[in-house]
Amino acid sequence: MGSRIAAVAAATVLVLGTTAACGSGGGSSDSGSGTIHVLVYGDAANKVEKQLVETFNKTSKVKVVLDTIPGADYQQKLQTVINTSRAPDVFFNWGGGSIQPFVKAGLLLPLDDFIAKDPGLKDNFLPAVFNSAVVDGKPYGVPMRGTQPVLLFHNKQVLADAGLTPPKTWDELVAATKALKAKGITPIALGGGDQWPTLMWFEYLYDRIAGPELFQRALNGDKAAWASEDSRKALSTLKELVDAGAFGSNFDSVKFTDGGSPALVAKGKAAFELMGSWYYSTQQDANPDFAKSGLGYTGFPSVGGGKGDPAAVVGNTNNFYSVLKKTKYPEAAAAFLKLMYSDDFVKAQLAIGNLPTTTSTANFLDLSASPAYSKAQYELVKAAPSFQLSWDQAYPPSAMTPMHTAVQQFFDGRIDTDGFIKAMSALPTS
Amino acid sequence: MTRPARPAAAATRPGFVWALPAAVFFLLFAFVPLALVAVLSFTSWDGIGEPHFNGLDNWTSLFDDPVMLQSVWTTLLLTALGVAVQTPVSILIGVWAAGHQRNRAVLSAIYFVPLLLSATAVSVVWRAVLDPNFGVPAQLTWLFGDGNLLGTKGGAIAVLTFVGVWQYTPLHALLYQGGARAIPQVLYQAAAIDGAGRVRQFFHITLPQLRNTVITSVILMVVGGLTTFDTVLILTQGGPGTDTTVTAYYMYQKAFKGFEFGPGSAVALVLVVVATLISLVLVRLSGYDRMRGTTEGM
Repeated sequence: MGSRIAAVAAATVLVLGTTAACGSGGGSSDSGSGTIHVLVYGDAANKVEKQLVETFNKTSKVKVVLDTIPGADYQQKLQTVINTSRAPDVFFNWGGGSIQPFVKAGLLLPLDDFIAKDPGLKDNFLPAVFNSAVVDGKPYGVPMRGTQPVLLFHNKQVLADAGLTPPKTWDELVAATKALKAKGITPIALGGGDQWPTLMWFEYLYDRIAGPELFQRALNGDKAAWASEDSRKALSTLKELVDAGAFGSNFDSVKFTDGGSPALVAKGKAAFELMGSWYYSTQQDANPDFAKSGLGYTGFPSVGGGKGDPAAVVGNTNNFYSVLKKTKYPEAAAAFLKLMYSDDFVKAQLAIGNLPTTTSTANFLDLSASPAYSKAQYELVKAAPSFQLSWDQAYPPSAMTPMHTAVQQFFDGRIDTDGFIKAMSALPTS
Repeated sequence: MTRPARPAAAATRPGFVWALPAAVFFLLFAFVPLALVAVLSFTSWDGIGEPHFNGLDNWTSLFDDPVMLQSVWTTLLLTALGVAVQTPVSILIGVWAAGHQRNRAVLSAIYFVPLLLSATAVSVVWRAVLDPNFGVPAQLTWLFGDGNLLGTKGGAIAVLTFVGVWQYTPLHALLYQGGARAIPQVLYQAAAIDGAGRVRQFFHITLPQLRNTVITSVILMVVGGLTTFDTVLILTQGGPGTDTTVTAYYMYQKAFKGFEFGPGSAVALVLVVVATLISLVLVRLSGYDRMRGTTEGM
């Protein structure tokens, strides 16, 4: 019985994880032979990482060994190796909450010294992005892939047919959903089955109505932040949208990850979808014609009377490389990190569809596979006074499941405003 | 009482050494991990540093945790639904497949295909089939309404039960086919002479003769049901909300998504205790421990 074996295996791993599971990569060449191990999330972007490692190894005495771990298992494997003798020297992460437990355990090297020797390690990156790997006032990560802000995508044809233009304000969005609903079109596609797409709506409304400070206060442990007036206003605004049927009624049976919600937009059954910038390549894969001519995108609308800056964005700021304190070759690690703002790095990332967050990126945007889209995104991120890291990445990992449950239940009407405030106040913050 | 110096029965019994490999294997891969989980359940550990003992903290918070209790009920409900639906269906199919009809072999072979597929693949396919906008529900709106199957508690539980039945009925039908084949034909011949029809033969010969097979099959279903994991992971992820968070999935969420190995271990232990209690009750009620042949007196 597959299910039984899976559960037994899970239980066995649970206890063997302490001693047995030791990640991938050649442990034999670890000791003193002049190598540093770089652990990355295994996916298509490894092409660029391999290329950079080759470049680095041509000139450096200390050689870099790239270890990749297949995506879905990355965080678990990292957690099991990071405090063992087989820990990497440099590793991929998402900044924020994903490295916070390691910082607390005293495992990571603050990058202040590196930056003192080479200010470019900080100044060559967009500040809003760089700051999301700052923990307790110290920098711990250097951006190393592409930024993924959340944008409001739409089907141009559907909006045109309804005589609508992309909404700039919340009131325009609400008016648009009413007009679309009257035409029998689901105004907004939502992959509620995945839960995290639902969370994006909270992230933006809180940012627009309360500004980024409210969430920061909550994250720092001020539970009262969730019960504040602004928090209630954000929730009631969102609730009105849900109750007006803007998302239809079966959004929790739809997923983004299996292509359900993007297909709704591409086929004209829905008009809008709020999603990370990877949405463009999702549509390009599944519906290339639609991606080319029918897919529109804007930033999130402004909300009248809100304290937040309408130019602020939320999403995944970038991925980062962090360095372990116990690395034997900190100079080599620093030299390797410098490649993350090199022209070669920027060009290679753009070529595979990522949008790097170096200040030099603007010079190379024409090399992107879709220059107009890359430019719009880059301008958005560059102009943003703040870039809120996705809530489920900003909080420690143990908060993720209860947070996802709470946002889903709020959209379902299973919990009300007070229930949501209670659930969010109960999240572990450290 | 006098006893024979050398009892004949003892001489033919296999020695202890024969059991050693199995015993060592069991100790190493079942008992030791279980003991370690028990120890871990009294610690707080995120997988990074050393586990720290925190007394009964994990356990007290577990008993205050509404999701924990709910997960046990959900697990029991899914298990009971699985047994209630699978047993009659697989008995009928198994008994039919044991016969000698035309095309029986071909149809049975087709029927066993779901058993060959991985539960993960099966779940992915059913998810696509049940998509509310592009799957079957979109075509049959008179039956499914807005197709919000996985977005409601009842719908999600029905889907999980259905997919489980679809996947595992062939296994149990196979057991019943073997059981039905082993029933001596003379019983049916005698019944036919006495004038019993097909239905009567089924209820008075086939079913009583399959008693031990039923017990075996139900125990397999219960064990499988209590540890349901992969279908939940792929079809519902425990949602909507926590409506389909079964205990095994809750353990996974705590330990491997939240990196709270202490509370995760406590959940795992609860599952072990509940499953052990249920299997003890089953063994007692069914007489599995003193199972007798059904062909006595023939």
